[in-house]
Amino acid sequence: MNKTVKITINGETFEQSVPIRLLLSDFIREVAGLTGTHIGCTYEGVCGACTVQLDGAAVKSCLMLASQADGHEVTTIEGLATDGKLTPLQQAFNDHHALQCGFCTPGILMNMDEFLKKHPNPSDDEIRVGLIGNLCRCTGYGHIVDAVRDASKRAR
Amino acid sequence: MYPAIIEDYLRPNSVDEALKAAGKYDAGEAMFIAGGQSLMQAVKSRLVRPRCVIDLQSIKELKGISASGAGIRIGAMTRYVDVAADTNLKRAYGALSDAAAHVGDRQVRNRGTIGGSLCWNYVAACMPAANLAVGSSMELISATGKKRTVIADEFIKGPLETARADDEVLLAITLPAAPAKAGSAYKKWGVVTDALPVIGVAVYIEVDGGGAITKARLGVGGLSTGPKRAKGAEAALIGKKAGEAGIGTALEKAAAEIETQSDHWADSTYRKNLIRTLGADILASAFARAAGK
Repeated sequence: MNKTVKITINGETFEQSVPIRLLLSDFIREVAGLTGTHIGCTYEGVCGACTVQLDGAAVKSCLMLASQADGHEVTTIEGLATDGKLTPLQQAFNDHHALQCGFCTPGILMNMDEFLKKHPNPSDDEIRVGLIGNLCRCTGYGHIVDAVRDASKRAR
Repeated sequence: MYPAIIEDYLRPNSVDEALKAAGKYDAGEAMFIAGGQSLMQAVKSRLVRPRCVIDLQSIKELKGISASGAGIRIGAMTRYVDVAADTNLKRAYGALSDAAAHVGDRQVRNRGTIGGSLCWNYVAACMPAANLAVGSSMELISATGKKRTVIADEFIKGPLETARADDEVLLAITLPAAPAKAGSAYKKWGVVTDALPVIGVAVYIEVDGGGAITKARLGVGGLSTGPKRAKGAEAALIGKKAGEAGIGTALEKAAAEIETQSDHWADSTYRKNLIRTLGADILASAFARAAGK
């Protein structure tokens, strides 16, 4: 029923016995206490708000058990900025008003952070296709695309 | 939706260990998990309720793509993102690359696997139809250590059904060495970009020196009865060249012979129209790939 898992989140290791059915998203929120990772769709894997990076790859943390992440490294939204200094992507979201309520933003940033590493010079179409797994229910995506495009230019 | 109680989680380091772990449970009570992008949803909705989850992530031999003179071998645990990027799967087997590149979204492609998709065989999945078209084979191993190879036509059965037994592990998807002038392509239509296919169509062709088709396989997915080959259309494609009117005639045959359902996404007639329209697009791509373009 329970299993002891050891997951490194943003460089800090969390080791605890948890129910096997516990989802990674809830391990992050309830065990590690990192509530920047959001649940926007009752764990159906459709909204992308729970996106984190597992060993550097953007994944939906509600679509896996915490046990599957045992021994792995997870980066959450809290792990992007260092010493309060925003990454160029985060700063671009701020500058372009790329959020309204902000609920979806952590997942979008965790996805786009990896996306920009793989596509340092993306077209608008590539950015939009890259965002398919993240639902934003306020902005209409225009400012989000602007922010990602601008972030790619700042990083170059 | 939240998973029901799961009694045990195991992470074997070898196929042998995985099979032994499954053997401790009655058939169906232990389930292998690959990327889990379908299975976790099924667990949450109680469509399946495994007592034990056996995670295949640590079994190295199940991962990666290798090519030799004999053909291409795709480890069952190879992720979509890696299938989509592999240069061995660009021309003759481009249908697999096309399908993998448009499954779900980036996050799903970072975790979902080709083998997981084939073993789950969901109605609205891309991989089963694409594999029917390219004529791949599935290499399975059972608890007794016995290996068997099953062709895609026999492996893929009705919705959520395959030839894999509960105590068998899918090791790899294998593809024969393709002739020089071969090409394949896959395209789907869904309600939004990269959504689950309302219809997905894949074609594999071989052409002669004059550009006429000598062999064709056409697979259709998004059907309530499971993915199917359009064998009448395949026969009608023989001898046809790119751009010829006979291509359209063959696709009419495909639309006529494939039984399509009406549901809230699309009615039967619309699905048949999609088979013709997507079919024309993928044949154009497959001809180009067969010509080395």
